[in-house]
Amino acid sequence: MARVRLENITKRYGDETAVDDISLEVEDGEFVTFVGPSGCGKSTTMETVAGLTQPTEGRVYIGDDDVTDLAPKDRGVAMVFQNIALFPHMDVYENISFGLRLRKYDDEEVRRRVEQAADIVQLEGMLDRMPKEMSGGQQQRVGIARAIVRNPDVFLMDEPLANLDAKLRVHMRTELQRLHRELGATVIYVTHDQAEAMTMSNRIAVLNDGKLQQIAAPLTCYNEPTNLFVAGFIGSPSMNFVEGELVESGLETTNFDVEFDPSRVPDATVGDDVTLGIRPEDVHLTEYADSLASSTDPIDARTDVLEPMGDEVFVYLLLSEAAAGSMEQDPAASPNQLLMSVTPDTDIEANQDVDVVLDRSKVHLFDTATGNALVHGLTDLPEREPGTTPTEADS
Amino acid sequence: MSDPRDSTDSNDTGGIDDAGDGPPRDPTLRRPDGGTSVLEDDRDAELDRGPFQRWVANSISHPERVYRAMFYVAAIFFLVTTLFPFYWLLMVALTPEGQLQDIVFTPNGFNPGAFVEVFQVIPFHVYMFNSFVIALASTVVVLVIASLAGYAFGRLEFPGRTPLMLLVLIISFFPPAAFFIPLNDLFNTSFVFLEPITGDGTLYNTPFALVTPLSAIFMPLAIFILTTFYGQIPDGLEDAARVEGTTRLGALFRVIIPLSAPGVATAGVLTFIAVYNEFFFSFLMTDGQPENWAPILDGILAYQGQYEVLYNLMAAASILGVIPVAILVVIAQEKIVSGLTAGALKE
Repeated sequence: MARVRLENITKRYGDETAVDDISLEVEDGEFVTFVGPSGCGKSTTMETVAGLTQPTEGRVYIGDDDVTDLAPKDRGVAMVFQNIALFPHMDVYENISFGLRLRKYDDEEVRRRVEQAADIVQLEGMLDRMPKEMSGGQQQRVGIARAIVRNPDVFLMDEPLANLDAKLRVHMRTELQRLHRELGATVIYVTHDQAEAMTMSNRIAVLNDGKLQQIAAPLTCYNEPTNLFVAGFIGSPSMNFVEGELVESGLETTNFDVEFDPSRVPDATVGDDVTLGIRPEDVHLTEYADSLASSTDPIDARTDVLEPMGDEVFVYLLLSEAAAGSMEQDPAASPNQLLMSVTPDTDIEANQDVDVVLDRSKVHLFDTATGNALVHGLTDLPEREPGTTPTEADS
Repeated sequence: MSDPRDSTDSNDTGGIDDAGDGPPRDPTLRRPDGGTSVLEDDRDAELDRGPFQRWVANSISHPERVYRAMFYVAAIFFLVTTLFPFYWLLMVALTPEGQLQDIVFTPNGFNPGAFVEVFQVIPFHVYMFNSFVIALASTVVVLVIASLAGYAFGRLEFPGRTPLMLLVLIISFFPPAAFFIPLNDLFNTSFVFLEPITGDGTLYNTPFALVTPLSAIFMPLAIFILTTFYGQIPDGLEDAARVEGTTRLGALFRVIIPLSAPGVATAGVLTFIAVYNEFFFSFLMTDGQPENWAPILDGILAYQGQYEVLYNLMAAASILGVIPVAILVVIAQEKIVSGLTAGALKE
């Protein structure tokens, strides 16, 4: 087991920059997930750790060793692939033992370790099957067994569950967590599925456009996203964003105002364009808002579409008449819409006029120009340090 | 013209019911033929046509019969054109020496001893062995080098890949004769460093004089075939092999080549046959003596003396010479067929 450290990793393909100056450290035994949309550079970053891709700039360290110039086979890493990548011309035993046989372990040792690995991923009795005779989940377990049998320092998993069906994916998710706990291994996991990232990892590294946006514990990313991208990417359905302007009395948007002392928002001055972010579960109907410690003034809205999910109901709210009939795909994209989630027993129906409030402690403010987060929660704004004057948000 | 009903109607000029939109006419009334014509029947009549017309009509309604017939005609044509020479060769071989006239479908006499005699007159088995070794060595050289080239062209991105590939293919367009004179000159030049290997320091009269140029000439085709195959193996498999502990070369030999077996078999068999059958260099790069690595070609021509030509032995030797290739093709045919059609079935 070992730490993994990336130092200023940059990868360029011609003029395209796939990975842009990423530095991060994965602790020994930690489960870190790289998450981001397609093409954000997360797989390329992982390939630089595996050694399959040579970074244009920067160094990769595993343990205390600089492995940047080592071949993949000499790095002590094992990898599980999205397309599973079992060798089709070998049976399960040969697939799992491939790396051991290359390293000239004696036959007894190979057999013992293969059986142990097969035991861990529950593949007993299938060692003489060919990969194409197995289901997708079994194949992926073989892929995992092939990785764990060598007892590597670092596991790299590149969307290992992406090709499995939804039910199996949830099952394998728990199996991987169990495996991580049993082996105590350092795991770097790549996915575009933020649910996988949230549920499995110790920390999430959110990437976009080749840049590291935030690396933090899942709930930190959820509750205190560092910028608009992380806020919108983590959480499903996505956070509501309402663009507005910082005024003396707080935030002014097209359809509602939120009152606070703008001078206590760091890195922002009155007149700045500011985006308010609020998660669907932090929008409440006024009559259900008594339990909130601090809520905004009621906002007039009209319910548009209800989406009962069973455990909750998503309510699409229109904030102005103008928005009616112009429903956009992404509720976060329109300033006139809000997505609210309520419990199923809430008395609400479509096309109903309602008053909603926002939980002030869960309101996020972002600088619209840079996307950087300004504050998370309006209830305990920081005191402005004496002597500092409000400046333009750094870009 | 062919529909008699039209002419019937045009003859029907008078009468109370000549209006086209009247009620159905009584077919027995006012017909020139008294209404007895069967052609007045409401459906298409069976025409009295000639056998050819019938056959045409039949084929239009059952086209698959024609296709099947065409398939048989084509298949029989190709079978006859390829196999009849062999049959005729066999007839010549079986005809005793001195009676080689009037052989059409049966041998003029019966002398299977010719197949033994070929080995007694000259050491034909040595010629066969030479050819086999030369073809095998060329195939091995071609497969190893073409595998490396195919890996580079098929799986790596590098500047100038397409122009280089075209250059390699262009080499195969040159007639072998274009290379012959410089190569022959080169192989007859004595090099000191070759003396321990070839004795006099030249490559002439050694297998290298055949293996080297023939490998080069048949290399581009093999590179082309293997490039196509290696390019289709998913990157993930190679990555997996490399992470598991192979080098790039190890991944090529342990994963990519085994998975491209049909392509490797195709390239190998095509190369083997081409080298085995090659005439130009085989004829000119040795002095024709079996101990000097002369191939089968020289063996067959050795039955041709100054005063007589042993056609029956030449025929027998030709048939014997085909046997190794025939065996090879029978063994490898399944792989070859799947290899030759694999490019057509891109998933």
